[in-house]
Amino acid sequence: MNRSIKNRVVTGSFYFIFTLLAVGIFLPIWVLFIASFKPGGDLLQYGLNLDLNCARMNLDNYILLFSGQHEYWKWFFNSISLTVITVLGTLIISSFVGYGFAAYDFKGKKFLFILVLLILSIPLEVVMLPLYKQISSWKMMDSYTAIVLPFLAHASTIFFFRQYLLSIPRSLMEAGRIDGATEYGIFYRLIVPLMKPAFSAMAILNGMNAWNNYLWPLLVIRSSEKYTLTLGLNTLINPYGDNYSLLIVGSVFSVIPIFLLFVAFQKYFIEGMMAGAVKG
Amino acid sequence: MKRRVMGALACAAMAVILAAGCSSTKSSSGDAGSKGASAGKKSMEVTGNDVTTINVWTFIELHQDFYVNMAEKWNEGHPDKKVKLVLSNMPYDDMHNKLSLALESGEGAPDVVDIELGKFPAFMAGNIGLMELNDVIDPYRNNIVQSRLGIYSKDGKEYGLPTHVGTTVAFYNEKLLKDAGINYQDIKTWDQFKEAGVKYHDATGKYFSCVETSASWMINLMLAQKGGDYVDKDGNLNLNSKELTEVLEYIKGMQETGAFATVPGGQPDNEEAYPSYNTGEYAVQIMPFWQTSRFVSYMKDLKKQVAISTVPVWNENDKEVATIGGGGTGTAIVKSGKNAELAAEVMAYIKLSEDSNREVWNVLGFDPVNTAVWTDKSLTQNPDNQFIQYFTNYPFDTLLKTKDSIGLLRAYTDEKYPSINNELCNVTLNSIFEDGKDVKEVLDSSQETLKNEFKK
Amino acid sequence: MKKFFYSKKIAPYVFICPFVITVLLFWLVPICNGVLLSFQDVLKNKWVGFDNYSRLLTDKVFRRALWNSFKYMTGTLVLLIPFPLLFATMLNSRWIKKTEFFKSVYFIPALTSVVVAGTIFRLMFGESATSLFNQVLAVFGVSPVKWLKGAGTSFFALLLLACWRWTGVNILYFLAGLQSIPTDLYEAASIDGASGWQQFVKISVPLVKPTTVYVLTISVYAGLSMFLESNMLFKGNNSPNNIGLTIVGYLYRQGVEKRALGYACAVGLILLLVVMAVNLIQLKVTGTFEEGRD
Repeated sequence: MNRSIKNRVVTGSFYFIFTLLAVGIFLPIWVLFIASFKPGGDLLQYGLNLDLNCARMNLDNYILLFSGQHEYWKWFFNSISLTVITVLGTLIISSFVGYGFAAYDFKGKKFLFILVLLILSIPLEVVMLPLYKQISSWKMMDSYTAIVLPFLAHASTIFFFRQYLLSIPRSLMEAGRIDGATEYGIFYRLIVPLMKPAFSAMAILNGMNAWNNYLWPLLVIRSSEKYTLTLGLNTLINPYGDNYSLLIVGSVFSVIPIFLLFVAFQKYFIEGMMAGAVKG
Repeated sequence: MKRRVMGALACAAMAVILAAGCSSTKSSSGDAGSKGASAGKKSMEVTGNDVTTINVWTFIELHQDFYVNMAEKWNEGHPDKKVKLVLSNMPYDDMHNKLSLALESGEGAPDVVDIELGKFPAFMAGNIGLMELNDVIDPYRNNIVQSRLGIYSKDGKEYGLPTHVGTTVAFYNEKLLKDAGINYQDIKTWDQFKEAGVKYHDATGKYFSCVETSASWMINLMLAQKGGDYVDKDGNLNLNSKELTEVLEYIKGMQETGAFATVPGGQPDNEEAYPSYNTGEYAVQIMPFWQTSRFVSYMKDLKKQVAISTVPVWNENDKEVATIGGGGTGTAIVKSGKNAELAAEVMAYIKLSEDSNREVWNVLGFDPVNTAVWTDKSLTQNPDNQFIQYFTNYPFDTLLKTKDSIGLLRAYTDEKYPSINNELCNVTLNSIFEDGKDVKEVLDSSQETLKNEFKK
Repeated sequence: MKKFFYSKKIAPYVFICPFVITVLLFWLVPICNGVLLSFQDVLKNKWVGFDNYSRLLTDKVFRRALWNSFKYMTGTLVLLIPFPLLFATMLNSRWIKKTEFFKSVYFIPALTSVVVAGTIFRLMFGESATSLFNQVLAVFGVSPVKWLKGAGTSFFALLLLACWRWTGVNILYFLAGLQSIPTDLYEAASIDGASGWQQFVKISVPLVKPTTVYVLTISVYAGLSMFLESNMLFKGNNSPNNIGLTIVGYLYRQGVEKRALGYACAVGLILLLVVMAVNLIQLKVTGTFEEGRD
């Protein structure tokens, strides 16, 4: 068989497979999007589907979202601020620790690094209840501090930064020392600027987690004015099913900020992942 | 990059076209209206100094308005003891979980909290964090249905203020039944109920009533009528009892006729079930009285079609209890609260006084626990009342028939009840009615599971 | 003092310090407390010895939860490692050029909250004949199915949800791994006459192993600790016959809903043991221990 024809067949079938996959993956999003124009009650009666029944579709849900009596936007901005705080805090602290592991040889390093690997693989849920008791005895319930603080030195983020920084030659740090920079100065002036791709990758992953975080905030947060978007949306799921209008249209909008974050950082994402996670 | 922008633009364009195309053919929008978020926080406006702030947790938003209205009345009558309610509404599971965590850690609990009947016994275990209410109940006691105080009590101490009786009644779709040649008033016993079902199914091809899998309203009723219970006199688990086996076998027999079937959502009071009734797929519900409010809000198309009647019994001339109370919310006061005393007094007024019980009917559509209200015709036959407008007969006529024979299950006050209920409504009933397993075997297995849980 | 703080000997410990504090305060102390609590009946405030553990041994519901979590983890491992690797290799191959668009689309599901995703899937798998998946069945002449009431069908729904959310992310992980493999390796193989499939098996799979191990680790973690997906799909922590109950779901049910904190802590510790065991086996099999030592 002619080589170029074969190539074209392969290329064509690849595009076909990936288009199919893309359609399949996009389908639920599309279904959600259509549903946001349907009356909430219809969703319960008919389930979600692809039907476009124009007679029953309208913008009421969107009008409700933007002018109705509800706390959606409060949750929305709570989530945004919580995500920003979490991402910034985690990136700063974890990169700091990751640098410590990558740039120095010190006593106990091996042990501590095994600890990082260990914790990386333990689900939070294991300690969730005792941790809850502890936080509560510190009178830190119902605060964002309690949500963020335990996870600032985030094992998998530390691991990632350490992997990333291993590729930076130590001679760079030596040069910094000769120039008279302190150990911390080297980190902030020389190293941090080199970490942009790594920060991007981790901003996306940590941002995703923070934006969608559910179980821990559910335990910690008590007052409804502090609810995040996921907690708030979940309160709309009640036994009577009379909140689907807001739930569905609110869901549509909940995807948008995190998608923007992804699009903004996507260029660095692969680059960062490449340099970080792959070297095992 | 360009491609991505193009993609986004295409999406946006699609959205606009879709939206524009449809809004031009916009039809009715009445049903799209939502009550909005249910995680609302509400705060009363109270003037004057020396006002006590009381934090209240609820899990049904409607209760908030009711409490605020009644608290305003209280303030009018007691200028020296004014209160300001700050209400937080949370989803059912969430609220109970938060309460248990708060009581556990001794921090963050409200002053007043609505606790659902099924969850109540869980708060009666170990050190009880709720306040004893016998004293504040006393002034109202004579007119209150005693069994409804009993379900929120332990060792003679009462910890919860009931909201309603929840008398189990039968909701018959009179119109559909009549079209099939059935008069609901002829149905007195379960056998007649079953027969009517078969006749209805033969005539219409639709289901008569549902077989419950995620709740046990009808099952509890049938069990209580037989004198059975989920726990025996000594408080031991008794799930594989003769009575419960008989009840479930009987319901299985109903299911086998084809006239009775499981419903989406597993019980009539469920978001997925309302449409099934609203469209006439099912015609009859055996439910506590408060289902009235669900009819009015969520099954709007059945207006002027549904009659409320007494429930069938096993044997007409027996001394069996005619009906039982089902579901309910006990308002409790947290013992450690700073203003617990005052909160108890105010809430007793809000939940038990005649004034408030009139509103329980007017606003919420429940059967009030203060039976002094039941005979007041200006209330029970008020033509402006939305509930009276909805049903084909006067609801209280039915209530008065069984007023003196409202039973209860011993299990309601047993601390094992939340777990029993959980097992029943997730495992037992599903195994029998969805998977078609043998009643006896399933009950033995459930008994076993629960026994293990309470192994000491 | 300042000099001490800035010395090269001390600086590493300053860098590591936040991590050490976190481990001590937020992992070690809670785990120790968890161990202590697991020997107590917290509500009655008394020590009960091994009662909680002996109860666990005979607890059918816990066994069900354990089995469900295991089944789910295995399902996700089988589906979410080979296929994304294959897709990533295809995307990375010379036959396909413009991949940006695909990568973005594949990543969207991971950006949706589980609360949202679970609700969408719950309604798509609705009982009514008009829900999406019943409509699909109808095309093949199959009558409507109560998807979320049967063990098999609801497991399918859960797996589909997992695949939907994570295929794209795993593709990106593998792409990152694949792109660090020097292209001349493929070129040399090509010249030697190796087919595309041979190149995939002989070059891509072995060289991308570190990424595979990483993805394996996080998948084991996510699989065994799954809770929210099932919670959203079944609209709560209760499902018919407990078909959706997971280990964490059971931990939550016991610890929070039933206030049996001691028992829940015992469940938590079993989860810890299971996760550690699975990971040890995994690391042993993949031989990561030997390489990780540097």
